[in-house]
Amino acid sequence: MAKSKTNDNWNSGTFFNRLRYSLWRVVRQIKKEFQLLKIDKMNLVIALMMPPAIIMLFAFMSTSASVTIPVKVSVISYDSNTYVNQNNYTETTTWDNYTSKYLDAVKESELLELIEFYDASESEDEYAMETARNEMRDGNIECIIVISVEFTELLSTGYPGIIELIPDSSDAAAIQDKLNAVQDSIKIFVEENDLDPEYVLQEYEEFSIPSKYNFRYNYNMTILLPFMTFGISFVLSILVVVQEKPIPRLLLTPAQKSEILLSKFIVYSIVLALQVFLVLTVAIANGLYIAGSVIDLYLALYMLGFAGVSLGMFISTVSNTKTEANQLFFAFFILIILLSGMFVPIDAMPDYLQTIAYMLPLSHGAPIIKGILSKGKSFIGFDFFWLLGISSVLIILSFLVINRKRYEV
Amino acid sequence: MSTGNLKDIVVNVENLEVTFDEKKIIRNVSFNVRRGEIIGFFGISGAGKTTIIRVLTCQISKKNWTGNVNVTNLSPGSKKNYAKILSNIGYVPQLEELNLYYDLTPLKNVEVFASCYGMKKKEAKNIAMELFSILDIPEDTWNKPLKKMSGGEKKRVSMAIGLIHKPDILFLDEPTTGVDAAKRYDVLSYLKKLNRRLGTTMFLITHDMEAALIVDRAAILRDGKLLEFDSNSNLITSLPNNGLVARFSIENLNEEKINIIKRFPNAPNIKTIRVGNETLEVLMDDFEKNLSKLIQFMMENGLKINAMSRDVAAFRRYFQLRIQEEEEKERLIRIQQDAIEEVEI
Ligand SMILES: Nc1ncnc2c1ncn2[C@@H]1O[C@H](COP(=O)(O)OP(=O)(O)OP(=O)(O)O)[C@@H](O)[C@H]1O
Ligand SMILES: [Mg+2]
Repeated sequence: MAKSKTNDNWNSGTFFNRLRYSLWRVVRQIKKEFQLLKIDKMNLVIALMMPPAIIMLFAFMSTSASVTIPVKVSVISYDSNTYVNQNNYTETTTWDNYTSKYLDAVKESELLELIEFYDASESEDEYAMETARNEMRDGNIECIIVISVEFTELLSTGYPGIIELIPDSSDAAAIQDKLNAVQDSIKIFVEENDLDPEYVLQEYEEFSIPSKYNFRYNYNMTILLPFMTFGISFVLSILVVVQEKPIPRLLLTPAQKSEILLSKFIVYSIVLALQVFLVLTVAIANGLYIAGSVIDLYLALYMLGFAGVSLGMFISTVSNTKTEANQLFFAFFILIILLSGMFVPIDAMPDYLQTIAYMLPLSHGAPIIKGILSKGKSFIGFDFFWLLGISSVLIILSFLVINRKRYEV
Repeated sequence: MSTGNLKDIVVNVENLEVTFDEKKIIRNVSFNVRRGEIIGFFGISGAGKTTIIRVLTCQISKKNWTGNVNVTNLSPGSKKNYAKILSNIGYVPQLEELNLYYDLTPLKNVEVFASCYGMKKKEAKNIAMELFSILDIPEDTWNKPLKKMSGGEKKRVSMAIGLIHKPDILFLDEPTTGVDAAKRYDVLSYLKKLNRRLGTTMFLITHDMEAALIVDRAAILRDGKLLEFDSNSNLITSLPNNGLVARFSIENLNEEKINIIKRFPNAPNIKTIRVGNETLEVLMDDFEKNLSKLIQFMMENGLKINAMSRDVAAFRRYFQLRIQEEEEKERLIRIQQDAIEEVEI
């Protein structure tokens, strides 16, 4: 047998020659990964076991007492506090200022937190509504309470006053809480001022989904899409490194640890692209309302899934055995889900937990997805860059860890 | 093979010392290996066989060893030589289940490992088929998952993978351990066959004394020291009277009776080795002349000989005697040291 030509100039001399061979090996390792993926159905079984785990978590979560956090509101008042008589001239009355009395009731209610009061009565603040809506888009307030022009007048003359309510409806499940909170303030107001309790609360929903879309489905999707994308990409990658027994033997060839790891990252990123595509296709086919663009949604979910791959790969490189990887996965997964804001709003948690929660990837999932689905935002924003940051750090750590790891045949 | 010039030296080790956690594991080991030789590394557990091979195969950082080591004229002391050395050598690890992709077919396994050497799929397949036929791996198993093969077949696939890139040197870690007795000789004869056909230099780490049958030279290690490094026949002929042995079956054999034999006055260099419950082998100078005298001496001392035969020592005996001798030497040194210490006190 003649000596193989391929390894004569193997790794010789120049940087580019070495790089060429390195890339060649990565490409071939990628092929291998796909072959292993085809055969190894174990990972998929684990992915299937995820839903029962989530149900368990639901049961676990519902036993803990619920925490009430005040709804953040801004109040805009158009109350003119004036009276137009039949002779068509205006005259200031000495009526009580019911707007300020209602504000007192808002402040008193434990269910509401007054963020801003806009007095728009004398065109003093004509952009009040626009400002408040922007505040709501940015998530600083959850509800706008509008006091009508004749509020004081109507009340003073024995008619029902009109309070208009504009809740942020992108978080559909929380709408009822918002209504209840505002009702509480009205109750206080009515009781303290000894008024006739006939008040009409008018409701106008900002960022709500069009009526032809299924409300429940769409609401659940804002949580399920990020959760599933992250969760499955995470669980699929936790065993990738640790279960490949022949790695030590591969390392007795010119193959490098970093080439092996890189090929795994590439393969699982490709798998993720497909996974997100399928999830989105099915979601849209079932009537997903997307205020923003599909591409934004795809990229946001991909980023979230990639954070899952990065964390999974990291766990896979630091673990020495499959059991260790599974345990680490379980610990991380519970933590990530508990602190994701899915069950307990992050703002209701103690400060130190909030810090941890905001560091974890899934906490940034629902905000991005909600922003795209209901508010038509772009995927680029703080949450996206945070996810990108977490992923980069995890990738760098994985390469550092694997390079320090000892493999022995 | 004995006339190898410098160019033919594929492995050169001078004054190798390996230290782990300030403990010396290998002490001052030197040897050369010529192209095409089969070398056996023998030694009881913990002797340092694996450690030496791991230095040669770039698995131990230079921090832990000193000395001059060259593998295919490249030093594993420098990280930048790793890739090149690793492409010049092949390694067949001890356990198949940890070192092959059980769910992939033999040919896919070959493809994966060959690709690490930059080989194209087709080239790898051609070489693999050639190796598989030399190794008598049945053709109908080539495309079935590896896990369906027998243990011996897996071992042979592993050997083929070690040779896929036509390395200069093939290292094999305990190739016959875990293979059943009948198949053990098969593995060894396949190795010999590959060595003849491909001219590959081979290193066998082994506990299996049978392996001495195929090696050109045997290295005997004990406690990190290289005691011997020579051909099987040279080692045996270095024994008293070229390794002729008398095998006695003695009734109620015990230490006391062995000590009597050791006192046989005509051959002060007499060596005994107990090989069974009632079986003892004896080596001595002037074997032919002394044998009848020894039998007489034994009978005079009340030993009852049930049977007797003569033979030439096999490598196994040499190995046992050499280790015994070393232990004896160390025991004497220890006694001397104790004596000196006592005097000092
Ligand atoms: N990484 C290490 N750190 C510390 N000590 C080590 C290390 N590797 C090997 N040793 C020690 O070196 C000695 C020789 O080990 P080695 O594995 O080379 O023996 P061996 O001859 O291959 O034995 P066996 O036949 O059991 O495989 C042993 O005492 C072992 O404990
Ligand atoms: Mg060993």
